[in-house]
Amino acid sequence: MIKVMPQIDGCHSNSGITEIALFYQFINSNIKLLFMKLLSNKTLLLLLVLVSGYGYIASCTHDDIVPPAPATPVPIITRGNHIHIPGSMTAGDTTQWKLDKVHSSVLWSGAYVGAAGLLTGRFNQFGMHEVTNDKMLNYSTVGQPLKDSSWAFYESDPSKTYFNGYVQINTSNTGEPGRDAGCNVSGMGTVAIVSGVQNLTPRNLAKIKSTKVEYDPLTNDYLVTLSLTWHGYDTSAAALSNPMTKSIVGRLKYIPESSGLISRTGSLYSVFGLQLTFQFNCRDFGIPSTSVGDVIDIECNMNFNNL
Amino acid sequence: MDNSFLIYLERLEMMAFFSGYPLVYALAHFVRGNKPAKNNFKQRLVSLLSYAYALVGSLYLGFQFKKLYPDYTIAHINQIVQVPFMAVWGILSIFFWIPFLAKNTILSLIHSLLFFFFLIKDLYLQFAASSPDEHMVSNDMNVYTVSLLLNIAALFLTVFFSFLYNKYKKVSDL
Repeated sequence: MIKVMPQIDGCHSNSGITEIALFYQFINSNIKLLFMKLLSNKTLLLLLVLVSGYGYIASCTHDDIVPPAPATPVPIITRGNHIHIPGSMTAGDTTQWKLDKVHSSVLWSGAYVGAAGLLTGRFNQFGMHEVTNDKMLNYSTVGQPLKDSSWAFYESDPSKTYFNGYVQINTSNTGEPGRDAGCNVSGMGTVAIVSGVQNLTPRNLAKIKSTKVEYDPLTNDYLVTLSLTWHGYDTSAAALSNPMTKSIVGRLKYIPESSGLISRTGSLYSVFGLQLTFQFNCRDFGIPSTSVGDVIDIECNMNFNNL
Repeated sequence: MDNSFLIYLERLEMMAFFSGYPLVYALAHFVRGNKPAKNNFKQRLVSLLSYAYALVGSLYLGFQFKKLYPDYTIAHINQIVQVPFMAVWGILSIFFWIPFLAKNTILSLIHSLLFFFFLIKDLYLQFAASSPDEHMVSNDMNVYTVSLLLNIAALFLTVFFSFLYNKYKKVSDL
């Protein structure tokens, strides 16, 4: 096929262009020779078809590709039928549930100066009693001033579930005594702690009361509509006699009953927990402090036993 | 995860663009036959092979631009492109738009054989392996099928526009 084998000799060529042209012709001719033979015999086609055919056969796994199961759009929710009620809170009656205040907590947190990490604290004194106006008093006791009996929990019937709760504002504990007994008292419009006295007067009381409890359709939790009542920063007589009430939606989580526990006295007992979380805007209550942001998170971890 | 998976993905990308070309090339020549075809379409099918390949190369270049968008700095290119040599080799195919190179369709075949070699390599590895993994070859063949379709489409598109161009030229010459 090739009739001319060009000599590449840089010393005797007249120009670089001629050399390139000759070189190109040389390469082109030889490549053409190689591939034309292949093409003329249709070898290339046969080769490619064979390789491709083998590939398709070899790639056949003989397995049906099972697509992954679609994500279920319906959450898996399991709820039992536990009923927990305090009754008269008779000690030793295992059908009556008592708030284990020692192992419970009411925590608050808010963004420090509204822009940084969380500033956190807890209320040392709290309870689960509906504190009506006639009960807003100073109680000379170191224990719970009122029975923690204003609640009921029905796992499978949230319409029957209800609860009340309160905190004593001046018992906010951030671990900094100077702050807790100082700007906390003045900034929250309350009064200092008096030793041996549980202060449930309107000036020192913030309380919640559930108005509606319903299933959360997406989780095992419950959605709770509750009213938060507190005089806030305003300590005028009018505000104290008619404190502000805001409706808030929170989330209630039930930590199911666990039985078979043995107390220090050797008796069997059970426990369960309720965790309520909600937020409120402290500016709604007139709090001017800029140490915390507008939104305050509250987390109530209530543990109960039937001792 | 090391870079080997990313390299594998990049290789698949290149295969998706170029590995189907050799078979399309061989088919086009088979359709034309060894003797010079009297049929204009058959003749044009072969003569436009390089332009079709250049079109695929241009699409590959566009794909690379899309991958890099919006950061076209060298640092970003180094980060995204795992095998620069292969990428450059792929992009070189746009030079087949130059009529001088396009005239020799055999060069486009040689250029594309590198990508077809990847397929042969995987087939060989699957064939030689004691416990072959069919899924890798299956993956390759899926990509190869896509590449075949892309190259066939590119060829027909090129032929179509070539006819349109000639028709327009004839009309304007009159």
